[in-house]
Amino acid sequence: MTVSVIKLLIQKLRKTLFSNSSNTLISFILILIINLACFITFEWLLFNANWKVVTSNIPLFAFGSFPPNEQWRPAIWIISLITLSIVTLFGPRWKWLRKNLLIAWGSTIPLGLYLLYGGIGLSPISSRHIGGLTLTILLTACSSVLSLPLGIILALGRQSSLPLIQKLSSIYIDVIRAVPLIAVLFFGQLLIPLFLPVGIEVDRVWRAIFAFTLFVSAYIAEDIRGGLQSIPHTQIESANSLGLNQYQIIRFILIPQALRIALPALTNQSIGLFQNTSLMAILGLVELLGIGRSILANPEFIGQYIEVYVWLACVYWLVCTIMAILARHLEQRMTINQANF
Amino acid sequence: MKGRKKIFLQLGICIFFLSIVGILINNLTINLIRTGLGFNFSWLLKPASFALAEHPLPYTSSDSYAWALFIGWLNSLKVIISSLFLSTCLGTLIGFARTGKNSLLGLISAGYITIIRQTPLLLQLMFWYFVGFLGLKDNVFLGIKNIFKISNQGIEFSGLTLSSEFSALLFGLSIFTSAYIAEVIRGGILSVPRGQWEAFRSLGLSERKGLFSIIVPQALPAIIPGLTSQYLNLAKNSTLAIAVGFSDIYAINDTIINQTGRAIECFLILLTSFLLLNLLISNGMEIINRIIITSSKTN
Amino acid sequence: MLRLVSGIVSLTILLAGCAIPRQENTSRLELIKKRNELICGVSGKIAGFSYLMSKGSYEGLDVDICKAFAAGIIGDSEKIQYRPLTSNERFTAIKTGEIDLLSRNTTFNLSRDSSGGNGLTFAPVVFHDGQGLMVKKGSNLNSLKDLANKSICVGSGTTSEQNINDAFESLSLPYNPIKYQDPNQVSRGYQQGRCSAMTSDRSQLASIRSGLKNPNDHIILDDVISKEPLAPASNGQDPKLADAMRWIIFALISAEEQGITKSNIDEKVKLAENNPELKPLRRFLGIDGGLGEKIGLRNDFVVKVIRSTGNYGEIYERHLGENSKVQIPRGLNKLYKNGGIMYAPPFK
Repeated sequence: MTVSVIKLLIQKLRKTLFSNSSNTLISFILILIINLACFITFEWLLFNANWKVVTSNIPLFAFGSFPPNEQWRPAIWIISLITLSIVTLFGPRWKWLRKNLLIAWGSTIPLGLYLLYGGIGLSPISSRHIGGLTLTILLTACSSVLSLPLGIILALGRQSSLPLIQKLSSIYIDVIRAVPLIAVLFFGQLLIPLFLPVGIEVDRVWRAIFAFTLFVSAYIAEDIRGGLQSIPHTQIESANSLGLNQYQIIRFILIPQALRIALPALTNQSIGLFQNTSLMAILGLVELLGIGRSILANPEFIGQYIEVYVWLACVYWLVCTIMAILARHLEQRMTINQANF
Repeated sequence: MKGRKKIFLQLGICIFFLSIVGILINNLTINLIRTGLGFNFSWLLKPASFALAEHPLPYTSSDSYAWALFIGWLNSLKVIISSLFLSTCLGTLIGFARTGKNSLLGLISAGYITIIRQTPLLLQLMFWYFVGFLGLKDNVFLGIKNIFKISNQGIEFSGLTLSSEFSALLFGLSIFTSAYIAEVIRGGILSVPRGQWEAFRSLGLSERKGLFSIIVPQALPAIIPGLTSQYLNLAKNSTLAIAVGFSDIYAINDTIINQTGRAIECFLILLTSFLLLNLLISNGMEIINRIIITSSKTN
Repeated sequence: MLRLVSGIVSLTILLAGCAIPRQENTSRLELIKKRNELICGVSGKIAGFSYLMSKGSYEGLDVDICKAFAAGIIGDSEKIQYRPLTSNERFTAIKTGEIDLLSRNTTFNLSRDSSGGNGLTFAPVVFHDGQGLMVKKGSNLNSLKDLANKSICVGSGTTSEQNINDAFESLSLPYNPIKYQDPNQVSRGYQQGRCSAMTSDRSQLASIRSGLKNPNDHIILDDVISKEPLAPASNGQDPKLADAMRWIIFALISAEEQGITKSNIDEKVKLAENNPELKPLRRFLGIDGGLGEKIGLRNDFVVKVIRSTGNYGEIYERHLGENSKVQIPRGLNKLYKNGGIMYAPPFK
C-alpha cells in the first residue's frame, strides 16, 4: 500500500518538478533556498528573538490604552466576533441558526459601540482610550456598514436618467477614485472641524470613519455599477410588464441581484479597508500599527522592531485570511440560495 | 418618468443639495475668518525656507513654495515611474511562475502573493526601511569596488546614488504591486481558452515559443485593464512616502500646511496633481491598449 | 476629463464664496469653567515634558503646567482631558477650538504670536531652551561646520527644520536633511546610523539621550543654533484666558521666590490669615485684594495651584531634576536671584 503511494508520489514529482533538465535544476535550487530560508527563520524565531516585547504588551496591542479595569468590555466584543466566525464556518446547519446568524452579525456593531463608548450601566469612555486591534476592527466595521448604503445610492445615481444626479454622482466617484487615501484621511481629520459650527465637535475616531466612508463608497459604487450592468435587461422589462414602479424595481430586483454579483468585489473592499486602517498610524490614531510604533518608542523595547513588525504582520495576515474565508463562505451560501429559486 | 416630473424632482434635489452645501460653506467661511486664514494663493510665491535632501532639479530653501511643490511632484513621478517598471517585470515573472509547469515554483509564488497581499503596505514599507536599509547600521551590505554598493545610506552604482528612503520606497511599492500584477497576469493567461495551449503543443512548438507567440498576445487585452488599475493604485500608494522620510508631493504638502496653515488651498493643489497623474497614466495605458488591439487585428 | 475639470472648478468657486460672519461672544475662560474640565493639548511622546506612561496617564513638566491651569481655573487639577497632538496638528487644533490651550513644548516666536501669523497668545516662558545637535562620540564632529554635506535627521514641519536650514544658509554650507514625521523615527534614524547627527531642542535631545542604550556614547554639541523659549499658548481670541494663564505661571514662579511649597502652603495660609500685617502674602494668597476676580478666577487661585502642583522649582525638580530620568541642568531656568532669568512681576 505504502509502496504504491510512494510510487505515485514519485511519478507526480517527476512530472511536475523534474520533467526536463532545466526544470530539475530550478527545482533543486528552489529546494535549497527553501531549506536555507526555513532554517534561518526558525532559528531566529526560537532562539534569537526576544518575544517579551510582544508578550508583555498584549493588552496594549489588543485594546490600546483602555483603562485596565474596563478591559473586559472590548475583550467581550472581540470574543463575540471570534465565536460568531467559528459558528458561521463550522457550526451545525440548523435552519434557525442560519436565520439568526445574520441578525447576530448585524448586532455586533451596536453591541461594539455600546461596549466601547459606554452608555446605560457602563461608564462612558472617551474614544482616545480605544486603540490597538479593537480600534482597527471598529474602524473597519463602522466604515463598511456606512459606506454600503452610500455606495448603492451613488451607483444608482450614476445610472440615473436625471442628468444632474448622474453628473453629480459621476464627478464624486471619479474625483474620489483619483485621490490617494491618505490625503482623504488627512483632510478628513483637518477639514471636518472647519465645516462644522463652533462648539460642535466630532471626535477623531468618527472623523476617520467618516473619511473612510467617503473614500470606500466611491469604490463600492463602481463595483455595484458593474453588478447592475450585468443584470440582463429582460429582468427590468418583465418587471415593467408586471406593473412594478421604479422604486419597487430598484429595491426588489436590481439591488439584491447587483449585490449578489458584486459580492466578491465588496468583500475584497472590506479586506482592503482592514489593511488601510493602518494608514491612521501616520495621522496619530493608535490602531494596531500605531500602537506598535508607540511600543517601540518605549525605551525598554528600543531596537526590537523586527519582533514587533513580524508579530503585526502575522496578526494582519491572520485576520485578513479569516475575513477571506468568511467571504468565500458567504459567496457560496449566496449561490446556493440563488440556485434554490 | 414624465418630463415635468423629472424637472421638478431634479429641481428639488438641486435645492436640497445646494442648501446643504450652502450651510457647509457658511460654516467654513466663518471658521476661516475666525482663524484669520482666508482663502488665496498669493502665499505660493513666498520663500519656502525648508531644504530638501532630494531634488531632481536645482532647489534651495529660498525658492518659492510653488517650486517646492513642483519638486515634490517630480519626486513622486520619479518613484512612480521606476516602481512601474520594476513591479511590472517582477509581477510578470511571478505571474508566469504561478501558471508554469513547475508546481514547486507555483507554490512558492502563491505563498509570496498571499503574504504580500494580506499585510498592509505601510507595514511592509516600514519593514523595508527600518529593518531593511536602516538595519544595515554602518555596514556595507553588498559592495563591488566603485561600481555597486548597498549600505544604510542607500544604493550607489556607477556614480548614481539612490537614497535609502527612495530605495526602500521603490522596493516596498514594487514588491507590493508585483503581487497584484502577478494575479492580473495569471487571470489573463487563464482566460485564454485551453484549446490554444493544446493546439500549439500538438503543433510541436516549444513551451517558451508557444507561450510568447500564441498565449500572451491573446491574454494581453484581458490584462491591460487590470494592469491600468494596478498602476493607478501604485501612483496613489506612493504617497506613503511620508512614512519613510521621502519628500514626495504629499510630504511637502504636509510641511507647507504645518508652516502656513493653508489646509484648503493645499488640498486643492494635491487634488489637482493627482488628477493630472491619473490622466497621464490612464491615457498612457489607453494608447498602449490601442496599439495592442490594432496589432492583434493586423495579425 | 471634462467632468473632472468641471468638478475642481466648481469646488474652487464654491469655496471662494463669502458669508456674513457671526460674532463670537462666549469667552473661552467662561466656557472652560462651565464645562468644568480643561482640554489640554500635549505631545505624549517627549520624556520629561509630556509622556504617556504605560498605565495610561500622562506625566511631565508640560503636564504639570496643565494641572496648574486646571487648579487655578476650575479648582481641580484632575479634571483635565489630555489630547496628544503631533507637531503638524497642534496649531490647527488650537485655532479651531478643539483644545483650550497648548502645553506642548511650543517655541514662542513672532510669527506664532502675531495676528498676521498664527495668531496665538503665549503665556510666560516655562522653559528656556535652545536648539542643538547630537552626534556620536568618536565621530570627530565637533561643531556645525563639520556637519557640512552630512545627513542630519530632523522632524518635518518643526521650527528645528527651519532653524537648521537658516544656520547652514548663514554659513553657506550644504547639508542633507532627512525628514521624518514622527519624532521617534528621527531618533531611530540617527541611532541606526542613517544620519551623522540629529537636531532638535536641547531638552528633547537630553530626554532622547536618556532613553538610549548607552547614553554616554552620544554627545550634545555646544553649538546653540537658536533660542527656543518654550511657553504654553492659547488661541488669541480670549484676553481673559490669556490673563489667567499668564498669572498662574507667574504665581508658580513667585511662590518659588517666596519659598512657598506644596508642603508648607497650608501653613502659610494659616500664617497669613492670622497676621494682618503680612500684606503682600495676604494679597498673593487671595485673602485680601481681590486679585483673582480681576482676572476672572477665584481669589484663592494661587493656593489651589500650589496645593496641587507645588511651585515652579518643585515642578522642575520632579521631572527634569537630578533624581529624575531626564536630567537637564536648570541653567537659564533658575530664578533671577540664583543666576537664571525666571522672574515674576508683583502680585498687586
